[in-house]
Amino acid sequence: MAAQQSLPNTQAPLDVYGGDEVSALVLDAGYCHTRAGFAGEDVPKSVLPSFYGSLKTSNPDSTTTTYREIFGDECLYPRADFEVKNYMSRSESVVEDWDAATKLWEHMLISRLQPDRESPPIIRSSAKEGTADGEGDVAMEDVEVQEKPLAENPLLMTEAPWNSGKAREKAIEIAMENWGCPAFWMTRTPVCAAFAAGKASALVIDVGGANTSVTAIHDGMILKRSIQKSQIGGLWLSQQIRTMWDNNEPKVNVVPYFMIENKTPVDAGAPAQARLRKYPFEITSSYRAYEEERLLTEFKESVVEVWRGPGRYLNPGNEELVKTQPGRVFEMPDGWNQMWREQRYRVSEGMWDENAALPNPDGNAKAQTIPEMIKACLNAVDVDLRPNLLGNVVVTGGTSLLNGFNDRLNNELMAMHPGMKIKLHAAGLTTERRFGAWIGGSILASLGTFHQMWISRKEYEENGVGIVEKRCK
Amino acid sequence: MASHDIRDVLNLPSDNAGPRPNKKQKTSAARPNLKGLAREVQSLGGDNPIAIVPEIATFKKRRFGSRKPAARWDMSPFRNSARSDQSLLLRHWRKETEDQSRATSQPQSDGQTPGDSGMEGTKKTDVTEDSGFAKFNVQVDVPQYSEDQYASNLVNDDWTKDETDYLFELAKDFDLRWPLIWDRYEYSPQLPEDMKEENEADGTDPSIALIPAPKSRTMEDLKKRYYEVAAKMMAVQKPVQYMTQAEFSLHETMANFNPASELARKKFAQDSLSRSTDEAREEEQLLIEVRRIVARQQKLNQDRQDLYRRLDFPPTEQDITSFKSSAGLSTLLQNLATADRSKKRKPILDTNGANTPGSAQPSAHPNSTPVTESRRESIAASTGGHRDSIGGGERPERPTKKGSQQQQQQQERRKLTEQEEKIYGVSHHDRLPSGPTFRYERINKILTTKSNAQHQRITNTLAELDIPSRLTMPTRNVVEGMEKLLNSIGVLLEIRKLSDKIDAEIRVEQAKNTDRKKPTGIAASGSEPANTSAEGSSESMSAKPSETMNLTNGEKVGSSSTDKSNGEDRPASKPVTDKDINGTEKHELINGNEPENPAQDKAETSEDKNTRPQSSGGHKRSASVLSGASDDKSAKRLKK
Repeated sequence: MAAQQSLPNTQAPLDVYGGDEVSALVLDAGYCHTRAGFAGEDVPKSVLPSFYGSLKTSNPDSTTTTYREIFGDECLYPRADFEVKNYMSRSESVVEDWDAATKLWEHMLISRLQPDRESPPIIRSSAKEGTADGEGDVAMEDVEVQEKPLAENPLLMTEAPWNSGKAREKAIEIAMENWGCPAFWMTRTPVCAAFAAGKASALVIDVGGANTSVTAIHDGMILKRSIQKSQIGGLWLSQQIRTMWDNNEPKVNVVPYFMIENKTPVDAGAPAQARLRKYPFEITSSYRAYEEERLLTEFKESVVEVWRGPGRYLNPGNEELVKTQPGRVFEMPDGWNQMWREQRYRVSEGMWDENAALPNPDGNAKAQTIPEMIKACLNAVDVDLRPNLLGNVVVTGGTSLLNGFNDRLNNELMAMHPGMKIKLHAAGLTTERRFGAWIGGSILASLGTFHQMWISRKEYEENGVGIVEKRCK
Repeated sequence: MASHDIRDVLNLPSDNAGPRPNKKQKTSAARPNLKGLAREVQSLGGDNPIAIVPEIATFKKRRFGSRKPAARWDMSPFRNSARSDQSLLLRHWRKETEDQSRATSQPQSDGQTPGDSGMEGTKKTDVTEDSGFAKFNVQVDVPQYSEDQYASNLVNDDWTKDETDYLFELAKDFDLRWPLIWDRYEYSPQLPEDMKEENEADGTDPSIALIPAPKSRTMEDLKKRYYEVAAKMMAVQKPVQYMTQAEFSLHETMANFNPASELARKKFAQDSLSRSTDEAREEEQLLIEVRRIVARQQKLNQDRQDLYRRLDFPPTEQDITSFKSSAGLSTLLQNLATADRSKKRKPILDTNGANTPGSAQPSAHPNSTPVTESRRESIAASTGGHRDSIGGGERPERPTKKGSQQQQQQQERRKLTEQEEKIYGVSHHDRLPSGPTFRYERINKILTTKSNAQHQRITNTLAELDIPSRLTMPTRNVVEGMEKLLNSIGVLLEIRKLSDKIDAEIRVEQAKNTDRKKPTGIAASGSEPANTSAEGSSESMSAKPSETMNLTNGEKVGSSSTDKSNGEDRPASKPVTDKDINGTEKHELINGNEPENPAQDKAETSEDKNTRPQSSGGHKRSASVLSGASDDKSAKRLKK
């Protein structure tokens, strides 16, 4: 035992894992959720919706109104003058509102992940967080006053592959200036997802909330020409479901949970018998939309299924076959319920077949379907890499958890490239699929060989924000 | 609750009527070791002790005995020497070593966090350890060149120096990973220096990356330039003749990089990627087929080798001078034949017995498929020497004098019916020349063995018959027919010659006859017989060339001309000529030898001899033909 203890670090066994943790933090921001946690762990400690509440408070003594941001899903409940906003841009999945982003990230990285300190603002906020006084979390307006909160933790952030240079510079600025991180690094989500699957080279198919992207990774670097992005993701699927509900006979009335006070069970198809809850204040449409999205997510998780193939769902015979299969019942919050059979395949088919997509205000382009994206991605990559990429297809993203998604993807790939060895790597655990990019970042930031990569504080001070472009290629 | 209580509740008779304290003493005395269990649990067992509880007393004792204070962990700072800047001081948890812990335990006060103490420690000592991972930092060696070197060696019309620099920068940045270099290659040449930097900074972001590159470089272009420069710089630093083997081969590889072939290869790869399902399947099947064929070929080769080894006669150490004479050679032949027979038979019998030629390697020939089985049989058969295989008219058939085993073997094989033999071209021969022969050669042989004149005649006859002398399709039947035809043409020519000769003789004799008659009948004409004889001889002499002429002209014409000269159709009426000849022969015998006739005869026979040395004489031949039978014996008889 003593011999073991005296083993110097340089001789410590590195071959097994190669990890050398330096208590780095990993932050992975997405449109639907933002994930933060410690490097080396297998799930993010803190997962919050990227939606945040904005509470309008009009000061009684003056006419000015101030907005107070509150973060965390536990405080997103019906309130007066309460708007739900998102700091990310839906079309791009990149940060749009930097102020809110900074606050939300601070909330996650500092108040949720850091130990309590003696400095009063953090004490206050963490104390408030625990209390159930209806106020929820408050933003830390005076975070700059205190000493730099993350002075001991290197920070690794992920970004969308199409993130702009300006946004990257802004990110390093916040990390260095506001939080005082000793080191910083920025990496792309597909790279991280590939790392999470244990691959340095992979074709990453990331079916997320707001976007779907197909990216080729070579040796831990993205191939920029191969980046394909489309709107076909979780929100697009929600839109399809809404269209289906609108066209349903009878039309499905979307009433989110918070509006229901009580309900009585009814037969399938019978009108709902529920009493709605009355609020003394007006519920904003943004909050309602947020709640409806949650309902739609539940529908997606429990009912929607992907036609597994072979062939397209619209091919003759397939729909008839599905009609003979048992359907799934979904009960709305107000008690109305119906059996969904062939429709549940139909809503997701637009991901694969642009002709099958239901009418959508955003429009459905052929180039947006997943097979077309894969095709375009592979065509933008050197021929020599293609077989390797097809043998290392990494599927990640929450929407890829749809039933039958992997089977269909496999079928489509086989149809596209017959005779090629195609292997899908889709994590079996739900968390690993949802937090793929974060897990990859966690692995990366805890590697001993990664120490030489960090952009140190001194380098930042010498080179300015431009260093992130030079280093994080 | 003890067992008594349960028994009490269930109204069971208490077998142990003793009072409780009494029993308790008993149990405690009986089981002092069961420390891990609560008293109540123990008593549940009643009189029967609980057996499943392990005895763990020693374990616990030792654990407490050798207890050490918990190991101290320390948040120790370290640097990574692989970093370009050494300012970054990262910290990780490490077990404190003995002296460290002593050193740090003193200044460490209660309120301080381990992290703070670590910071203090580094400030004091400033000897921070290096990360163990620094050694994994490996960099690619990218060739460097100076301005002068570029100007003297590396100037290229297609590449500016700026762009070459840019390429080498990328190569260094991406550690020569060409897909990445090509992917990120965005060179914009005309921009001034400051603009370019700005552009490059933006260039990495894909949203603005749509600025079209002035010259789109393929990966092959980039590689070609890089290898060109690298090879030249290598040669500059170390002349080619001084390079080591490895260096030279590297230099050669780089200098001979061929972008065109590389592009062609990629095109092939692309095509193979975009195959349809059917094509892919077909290719797969073809591959399997090829593999099978190759495997079969190997097996066959092995079998063949085996066979050769068997057939190979042993090398001899004896003196070969005795075999140098012709007599010696014939004895050698005899010896070999007997040796061969004795040697051959044995392996044949062996193989027949085992039913496989490779019985020496049984594992190599698993009796897998009927196909291989049948082939093996055919191999066995060919070892046995019945090469009755397909298509060969000249394949030898084994002489019938064979071992009974052989016969049996033959019978075991499938007998072909007459029809099948015809279809498959199976033929049986008594003996064959060794080695393959061509059928048309057989035809040629008949012709070439003849003299030139005769050859000419035969070809003329063939031309008359509208038969080409060279067969276009020498199948077996055709060849046989041709042989027959040629034979009969030869016979025909013989007969013609003979008949001509006889005609001439007849005429001479007739002339003599008339001459003889004249002096007896017409005394006045004394000079006439000489005249007529001269005439006759001249006639016969003239008839000869005309006849040969006719022969060359063709049978029909020739026959007509002979008709004219002789008034007799010979080929049409053979029996008549037969009689005629017989008559003339008799006539000859009667008349005795004439001075002219023998001379002619001799000339004829000598000619015959010249033309056909193997035949005994023109008469014999013709006689045999004339008699209508192709038997030599009958001809001889006839002559007698």
